Amino acid sequence: MADSLSPECTPLKHEYDSCFNAWFEGYLEPAVAASTNPEIRSAYSKRKAEEFNSKCGPVWEKYRACIKKAVKDRGLDVLLQQAREEHPLTEPPPPPPANAPSSTKKA
Amino acid sequence: MHFFSQNFDYSHPWSHVVIGMWRKYPNPKCSHVISIDVLDRSVDPGTGIIRTERVLGCKQKAPGWIVKLFGGSEDAFVREIIFVDPATQNASITSVNLSMSQFATCFERIQYTPATCDTTLFSQTAEIQARMALWRSAADNLEKWLVQRFEQNAQLGKLAFTDVLRTLWEERHAQQAASI
Repeated sequence: MADSLSPECTPLKHEYDSCFNAWFEGYLEPAVAASTNPEIRSAYSKRKAEEFNSKCGPVWEKYRACIKKAVKDRGLDVLLQQAREEHPLTEPPPPPPANAPSSTKKA
Repeated sequence: MHFFSQNFDYSHPWSHVVIGMWRKYPNPKCSHVISIDVLDRSVDPGTGIIRTERVLGCKQKAPGWIVKLFGGSEDAFVREIIFVDPATQNASITSVNLSMSQFATCFERIQYTPATCDTTLFSQTAEIQARMALWRSAADNLEKWLVQRFEQNAQLGKLAFTDVLRTLWEERHAQQAASI
């Protein structure tokens, strides 16, 4: 697992990553299977979202407090705020076009 | 603006690729990525879409002239937004540089989608764009400064040559006057 940008946050970060990965690996394939039916998908998503918050929420709160301070101490909070305003990225992008050719070009 | 894109397939099913995506770093083949932090993560209880905001820390090996010109530091940071949508089987990573972003932006998007039931399409696009307004004003200021220097030098050149001509011909005239 990658380290945190702040050495003091790294132990919490590793703990949080382990928690998320364990949850995610149990989540993903049943989520794909559940998505054939909107009602099943919704029930599954709700249950798993709650499970994630209860399992990983406590370590997340500690890690988040640590990284928030580290980001601010390095002046990254200002740059992040600008980036969020420029590209909120609150919605998933559309899927890539099928059979798009690989290329490098100059406009 | 420059564009880049490439596509290829990984010989693993989509779910394996997306599980592996969270374990890509640290990686000896990408040793420039030295830290990853999660700043925000949500699991949508209706759609099951997971959105994650991360910040990556990189050791940049920028050419010396870039560091000198822009005063960049060794550490560069990138913001990433990752969506995993199990329903559409689309995982996307959108990243934008935070460091040096006042000069240029690199907007990259990677998407993982199923190609077949046991292969996954990797699709990557990037747009690299210098902030032209900034370059134009920098170029404008450089031109103004060059014009000022040119005017000053032209003025000095005139004075300097005037001195040379006066000295030369005053001496010659004095010599002629003396020899007559």
